[in-house]
Amino acid sequence: MRVSTSGWLVVLVTLAMLIFGAGTVLAGPLDMPGAPQAMVCSACHGFAGQSRSSTIPILAGMAPWYFKKAIQDYAAGKRTSPEMEPYAKMVMQSGIDDIAAYFAAQERAPSPVKVDPAAVERGRAAAAQCTVCHGASGKGDASKGVPDITGQSPGYLRNQILLFKLDRRSPGDDQLKAVKALMRTIPDGQISDLASYWSSIR
Amino acid sequence: MNASTRREFLRTSSWAGLGLLAAGCAPKVSDFARKSGRRVVVIGGGWGGATAAKYVRLADPSIEVVLLEPNKEFVSCPFSNLVLSGQRTIESMTFTYDGLRAHGVQVLHETATMIEPDARRVRVGAEALPYDRLIVSPGVEFQWDQVEGLAAAQDRVLHAWKAGPQTVELARQLQAMPDGGVFVLTIPPAAYRCPPGPYERTCQVAWYLKHNKPKSKLIVLDANPNIISKTALFRAAWAAYPNIDYRGSNKVVKVEPGAREVTTELGDKVKYDVLNLIPPQRAGTIAVTADLVGADKRWCEVNHLTYESAKHKNIHVIGDSTIGLPVPKSGNVANAMGKICAVAVTSLLNDKPVPTMAPGNTCYSWVSDREAIAVVNTYKIDGGKVVQIEQKLTPGQSEAWAQNAVGWANSIWADMLG
Repeated sequence: MRVSTSGWLVVLVTLAMLIFGAGTVLAGPLDMPGAPQAMVCSACHGFAGQSRSSTIPILAGMAPWYFKKAIQDYAAGKRTSPEMEPYAKMVMQSGIDDIAAYFAAQERAPSPVKVDPAAVERGRAAAAQCTVCHGASGKGDASKGVPDITGQSPGYLRNQILLFKLDRRSPGDDQLKAVKALMRTIPDGQISDLASYWSSIR
Repeated sequence: MNASTRREFLRTSSWAGLGLLAAGCAPKVSDFARKSGRRVVVIGGGWGGATAAKYVRLADPSIEVVLLEPNKEFVSCPFSNLVLSGQRTIESMTFTYDGLRAHGVQVLHETATMIEPDARRVRVGAEALPYDRLIVSPGVEFQWDQVEGLAAAQDRVLHAWKAGPQTVELARQLQAMPDGGVFVLTIPPAAYRCPPGPYERTCQVAWYLKHNKPKSKLIVLDANPNIISKTALFRAAWAAYPNIDYRGSNKVVKVEPGAREVTTELGDKVKYDVLNLIPPQRAGTIAVTADLVGADKRWCEVNHLTYESAKHKNIHVIGDSTIGLPVPKSGNVANAMGKICAVAVTSLLNDKPVPTMAPGNTCYSWVSDREAIAVVNTYKIDGGKVVQIEQKLTPGQSEAWAQNAVGWANSIWADMLG
């Protein structure tokens, strides 16, 4: 019997798959509950919520409580976004708990968006005010309703600081009174610096 | 071998692929004449097909995926109107298929010539590719015969409605047009690919003329009675461009390139210096030759959960070629259909239930060099059919939406091809 080079490779690969356990690949990255429903999000938020775009937030590794509040506020129009309001309503109808759990289970890689190193340094010098709530690490405290802001997309962080400052994100939300009071003290010129700094933190 | 390199190894290894890699040559159709494991063939590497090919591999790497796409590179239609105004280069929206190859997709730069549904084979000339399931994402084809004189003038009358060399050539003609010249843009009757696309193009051409050829004008001959998408937002944007002469219910039925003249259904003759004629459209040719189109002979009816053709089993149709879903013919919708179809196909091949998934549509239009508008539609499945949950428009135009448009483009290009 004549066996071609590629035929031998097939044999070798078969052996390799047997040795290294081909069965493990059958549980694909999309088998988790919520994964199929979360797929519509990846067009903007990246595969598994790993956004690569400045103004679009990373959802990977986001605490479920934070994800769910964001979706509920977008759906109710408390966070105004023509993009997110229809999608938030879709998420609420297609299984918010599973989708929140799916994104929470994804390992977050920091934003690949490049930020100006000089802005990072200016932001570092002004970042102490943020650590009062978000902690020295910036990782937040789920028990107090404070999110992890490290490695998040810089344009998204900048926009949120501005929306808090102008009281255009969830107006009247008691939980956000303190953060908004603090944001009002941040000069406009410092907002991008702080966003760049926290986005750069690993 | 640690866990991650093992995954990488398994991800990139498929039977034929590894053999060919060793042989150091590009894969050929004849390499796939026989099928050892389960195989999905995808026809068309655009927004739907590229996404479907990648996501089948993500969902189940044990399934072999062969993608048939004649073009060596992917050129994005979304953002290509910015090439006309000189805001972007065509290179900035041109990508290779290497990202798909890294996911183990076998990319063959060939054209599918026929489908044999009973034998479950795709013909490429004299050769044939067997499949277990076929995903057809052929985009649109132009109905040249709907405009008199167009078929014979295809090389001179530009559509620029499939981004690529025609986009670059139309930009060149626009730049070369003398100041005081007339640019005519004609819009076909719905349904056609990208409903807001012609109106975004109107903005970009008008912006270019306003800033570079202030004595020139743009005549828009629309077969539809009015702007068919983001109507009020485009009307507001056009207030900045008095050089636009928009004429609704002006279907173009004849073109005479020698006389540089088009004729409308009403018999009006309009002279041009530069013409951009977007022809009427139907599903891509393979959908017609393979009998996937419905009674209208133009578009393909599909199951709303699996995208399986209403006419042939084991063949799924996605993207602009489909009809019957309340969705626009957009790149974003094709991307969503690609994912849903990929999950459905993998579930069916594994005898698993098909999850209930609906598409979404996020669509930005650039109304100047720095401002954009958007429309968003989301959907759900109700009674086995796709129905709309909500449509939302931006309240106006802004640079912030334009930033989001850039973010969307970079994300979705990577979602398809990265």
